[in-house]
Amino acid sequence: MPDAVKAPVIKAVGVKRYYKQRGGSLLSFGRKPRMIQAVDGVDFELYEGEIFGVIGESGCGKSTLGRLLIRLEEPSEGDIYFRGESSKALMKKDPKKFHRMVQAVFQNPFDTFTPNDTIGEIMMRPLRLHGIGKSDEERRAMCEKALEDGGLKPAADFLGRFPHELSGGQLQRISILRSMLLEPLFLVADEPVSMLDVSVRAEIIHMLQDLCASRRTAIMLISHDIAVVRYVSQRVAVMYLGRIVEMGDTDTIIQNPMHPYTQALISNCSSIDPDEDKQAIEIQGEPPSPINPGPGCYFANRCFKACEKCFKSYPPMRTMKDGRVVSCHFATGDE
Amino acid sequence: MKILEIQDLCVTYIAGEKRIKAVDHVSFAIDEGDSLGIVGESGSGKSTMAMAMLRLLDPRYTEITGAANYRGENLLTVDPRRLSELRWKDIAVVFQKSMNSLSPVHRIGEQFEDIYRVHEPKASKKEIRERVEKLFAMVNLAPRVYNLYPHELSGGMLQRTSIALSLLFHPKILIMDEATTALDVVTQGQILSEIKKLEKSIAVTRMMITHDLSVVATSCQKIIVLYAGQLMEFGYVRDVLANPRHPYTEGLVRSFPSLHGKKEELLSIPGSLPDLSNPPQGCIFAPRCPYATDQCRAHRPEPRHIDDLHVAACWRVKGGIQDA
Repeated sequence: MPDAVKAPVIKAVGVKRYYKQRGGSLLSFGRKPRMIQAVDGVDFELYEGEIFGVIGESGCGKSTLGRLLIRLEEPSEGDIYFRGESSKALMKKDPKKFHRMVQAVFQNPFDTFTPNDTIGEIMMRPLRLHGIGKSDEERRAMCEKALEDGGLKPAADFLGRFPHELSGGQLQRISILRSMLLEPLFLVADEPVSMLDVSVRAEIIHMLQDLCASRRTAIMLISHDIAVVRYVSQRVAVMYLGRIVEMGDTDTIIQNPMHPYTQALISNCSSIDPDEDKQAIEIQGEPPSPINPGPGCYFANRCFKACEKCFKSYPPMRTMKDGRVVSCHFATGDE
Repeated sequence: MKILEIQDLCVTYIAGEKRIKAVDHVSFAIDEGDSLGIVGESGSGKSTMAMAMLRLLDPRYTEITGAANYRGENLLTVDPRRLSELRWKDIAVVFQKSMNSLSPVHRIGEQFEDIYRVHEPKASKKEIRERVEKLFAMVNLAPRVYNLYPHELSGGMLQRTSIALSLLFHPKILIMDEATTALDVVTQGQILSEIKKLEKSIAVTRMMITHDLSVVATSCQKIIVLYAGQLMEFGYVRDVLANPRHPYTEGLVRSFPSLHGKKEELLSIPGSLPDLSNPPQGCIFAPRCPYATDQCRAHRPEPRHIDDLHVAACWRVKGGIQDA
């Protein structure tokens, strides 16, 4: 458990993001537009030097949540507090300062960089924008040092190269190094390894872990790969249709998931051990539409445990004895 | 009985002056009813191998040697007319991006009808519909999908549609090229278990091309590990993954985080694929191999037998049949 005395670096309170549904016929004119609930009320806290995993199926809102946290998008409701300050206020006051506090690493390293700039140009630009370093020579030296520390040697050579000359793993490392040059408070890593070959994934994962440990940056790791999340993150949140259904210590949740969705998700994860006795919980169908998912639990129509109550009311978040929170009618505190 | 035997297959891409050896002297055989996983990093030649077998590569830019014997017929040399008879009817392929392989402007049903008529020109609409609905039931799709357009389906449903499409003529061999890679864990789990159930009801030999070892571990009996177009290891999944004999396989296994048990340290394989237009002398993996010796750098190891089936191309394999 994170130190309770310490104030969280990030605190999300009731964050929601709705999108208006586009299109519609003439008949719908004058009617209230239908809303797609991408993120539907998320609360959590993130501490210094912590890697927080977010897992869930595609379309569950995990990437939208990441974008909301670094304010690439405005939340429809709720707010995110950085060290107690509202991000909305921070953005109004000094957007540049805010952007320096939060950084992101995205899934596809080949799309991250401008193809006609050299790596040196790409890495120095944020430094210049934020007025770090007195001259370009000084900035170049900073980039060189960052590359050397990140294991990309000889660094001077890398600075003169173009993105297409490098492999995906190298580009992803540069992407991480570049965001860390600004010494952010918080980093969102959205599927940082899913595009890469298995043999280089470990490098990227270790790099994130090292940075988190040495610079005390809070990292949110968004991934659909539960094994990766288990490996790096101390705490994990499981999302389903825009809401967190279970959140707590990673090992506790993976070994003993309480929410039926988490149970199904984990049991469906293939393992590389062919001898492992696996009883996959089969869940039928697909998630319901994120437009008005209904009053009951969003997972109820696919849940193997669902009863009448589940279709009537959305289960509240309950804190369990082991500290995790679960939102399921069947998870009572005394289990 | 052997259903498919690949002998000394080489595929070379010709790009101007460059000659890129994408598949380099690969030999293996699979029996009827087998399920084979082909794994390797991107660029290791897994897809090229499957495409070469079906002669889907442009002959102007590729050079293929060796043999791919399907029930005594060499697919690489048979008459084109015979080949088009075999394609889809005997050997079917499911590609990764089914969204791209279905026409966006035709209903799913029409596309099934078109393909069905290629091999059965006289089939009636009703007959086709019955057949297709039976297939839909097999892959857990609702009959209403017949009248829908591809954009109305989710990724999982499209992939199921593709699988149904590939099973249209009861193929003997089903090649799945990263068929579950783009899907969610839950959907992937659903589809893998459906495929396993299917295999019990219809006799089909499956080849899974994937970079995900865990997919192979849960759904295949045998495994081939490819690296830079060369066969590194071949054997039963439980032998190869539990006791990898080739350093590359070992590296792959160790770079996979596991979901249960102790958290072992994740290791990566340093370096990257060699330039295939100018491969290093000796073992192709030697530049990245932690155990490489002078012998490895000078001479290429031939695949050596560890037991009847298990093969690894590494000088470190000793006590095998050759040495005994």
